[in-house]
Amino acid sequence: MKKKTRRINGMWSVIMLIVSVLYMYPIFMVLMNSLKIESAISTSTAFELPTAETFAGLANYENAINAQGFLSSFFYTAFITITSVLAILFFCSMFAWYITRVETKVTKALYLLCAFSMVVPFQMVMFTLSSMADTLNLNTPWVLWVIYLGFGAGLAVFMFCGFMRSVPIDIEEASMIDGSSPLQTYFHIVVPLLRPTMVSVAILEAMWIWNDYLLPTLILDINKYRTISMLIQFFRGSYGRVEMGPMMACIMLAILPIIIIYLVGQKHIIKGVVAGAVKG
Amino acid sequence: MAEVSLRHIEKVYPNTEKKKKGSKSNLKVTEEGVLAVQDFNLDIKDREFVVLVGPSGCGKSTTLRMVAGLEEITRGELYIDGVLVNDAAPKDRDIAMVFQSYALYPHMTVRGNMEYPLKLKKMDKEEINRRVEQAAEILGITEYLDRKPKALSGGQRQRVAIGRAIVREPKVLLMDEPLSNLDAKLRNQMRAEIIKLRQRIDTTFIYVTHDQTEAMTLGDRIVIMKDGVIQQVGTPQEVFDHPANLFVAGFIGVPQMNFYDAELVRDNAGDYAVKIENVYIRPSDEKQENLRRNKVEPQSITLGVRPEHIVLADEGENVLHGTVEVMEMMGSAVHLHVNFSGRDNIIIAQTMSLGGKNPSHFGAGSTLTFSFSGDVIHMFGKKDGKNLEA
Ligand SMILES: Nc1ncnc2c1ncn2[C@@H]1O[C@H](COP(=O)(O)OP(=O)(O)OP(=O)(O)O)[C@@H](O)[C@H]1O
Ligand SMILES: [Mg+2]
Repeated sequence: MKKKTRRINGMWSVIMLIVSVLYMYPIFMVLMNSLKIESAISTSTAFELPTAETFAGLANYENAINAQGFLSSFFYTAFITITSVLAILFFCSMFAWYITRVETKVTKALYLLCAFSMVVPFQMVMFTLSSMADTLNLNTPWVLWVIYLGFGAGLAVFMFCGFMRSVPIDIEEASMIDGSSPLQTYFHIVVPLLRPTMVSVAILEAMWIWNDYLLPTLILDINKYRTISMLIQFFRGSYGRVEMGPMMACIMLAILPIIIIYLVGQKHIIKGVVAGAVKG
Repeated sequence: MAEVSLRHIEKVYPNTEKKKKGSKSNLKVTEEGVLAVQDFNLDIKDREFVVLVGPSGCGKSTTLRMVAGLEEITRGELYIDGVLVNDAAPKDRDIAMVFQSYALYPHMTVRGNMEYPLKLKKMDKEEINRRVEQAAEILGITEYLDRKPKALSGGQRQRVAIGRAIVREPKVLLMDEPLSNLDAKLRNQMRAEIIKLRQRIDTTFIYVTHDQTEAMTLGDRIVIMKDGVIQQVGTPQEVFDHPANLFVAGFIGVPQMNFYDAELVRDNAGDYAVKIENVYIRPSDEKQENLRRNKVEPQSITLGVRPEHIVLADEGENVLHGTVEVMEMMGSAVHLHVNFSGRDNIIIAQTMSLGGKNPSHFGAGSTLTFSFSGDVIHMFGKKDGKNLEA
């Protein structure tokens, strides 16, 4: 019996190992090629480790950063991601708090609407969205967070509500009696309670917004503002030939922050999921 | 430091959704919804300790929460110190509340929890520290001040919750079943501490519990509720000695009062007597007087006698016979469960008064003779359960 389970466990380990190699391989390819010279990337040597001849050092990275405007793209992406995530955290947590604590037909409908918005595919609304963004002057990185708030709200409200329901209302009532206004209760009591969920939401939304390509492409003017994912695409189309080296370097630089965020926040994600399960 | 007056207070929960907790209650339902509290009238004096008691779902918490301002008052007026506060926010009522679940702020230390209401009042640091330390001292939680609630036991958490309520020196201190999450031993201990606490702080207390012992030991006055309606208001002694109806009689006192079917009869001289089986018991003169004053007609009644008022008797006239079913030896007393006229009765016999008889004498199945005198009986009308003397 024990032997059998051990063998099954061993099998699983092997399977998972293979799967993770499959997942890691593209990243490894990109990393490898980002260190090669241009001619070695687009030929059959693409699958080989860099040799003395093909090794380019950090030239591609320098190229991407200096010549191709990576820094400004990085800035735009970071700005959009940070503002959007902050907006989502602030508005959605407050909204979720309200609709779980004040139960009327309207709030129930709002909740369902939020949940429903997760099901609507982006492609269905993207063209109307882009023309609407133009009309409302939402087509700059400075206010793009408004649009991301709309698309990120579904998941965020869903997660916040899920957690909020498990929190006994007594604590908030106690704070009301202790003399807080609703806003004070929100900031002093509800936000700290929601912190684990906030971290999970922030990581999930940040990963999505950081990597998002379609929405900024549709809404931002590519000649003025380029997010990182737009920049990577830009390398392909700009000079009639694809600049693979800087592109690979760019991809590496782009995924680095997100990997760091994930590694730092990983334990909070798990905590956030558990926090909803056991009584707080 | 305040008087609280509740005038015709009512609470209606709109009938829209499923009821909370799904209790199969007997609450009155009108077109508006469920009447959780009906026509609640009570004047609470300064520094009085009032206990609301009743079975689950009777509207105690709802009443307390209306006083706190956490629940809207459907009808009626609520005055604190003569000021109408129906529409005042909880924070403007100068009340504090202790919750059954403690409701401590989990992310703050004990000190943080106790400081919180004072900080909101923008009190100065020194005064805050003075008050927190004083309250911690009273409650014996000084050494835990820098811990988070998670690292405290249930009893310690409850102390912190009480501490957070008393640092504010509120006009009215509300407590909703503060002890019911504690184990029996700790509950007794905390009950004693609440009595001590009460002597140290000058505040009006409103305390909710479903435990009649707590109500009897803590309250200056007890309000007994059932299905959203007040059954009786009185001192512990009053409700114990003169229960207004069958419900109160059965609710107050452990073990429960024994009830028998009996007949109230009247002789030519106008004297009342209670006929049970073939025995006639003459109510005391005081009771005769009360019955006469109320012009009570002879009728079928429910007779109530407390277990401790039944005495074991020798065979003779005017004694009743029952069969012992269970004997519980409690140390200083024996609880005898006796089958009498088809009902289970409890008789408490003091071990001392058994006259040297071995308690095991009352083994299961043995026959017992007992009686009770006319001054310990309670007579309730069959129809409405009202005390006929009241
Ligand atoms: N939000 C609500 N909507 C509808 N009915 C409610 C609501 N809250 C309470 N009730 C009903 O009102 C009645 C009184 O509730 P309340 O909580 O005051 O009872 P309680 O006396 O405190 O009982 P317990 O000892 O169980 O705490 C209950 O029957 C309950 O079902
Ligand atoms: Mg209650």
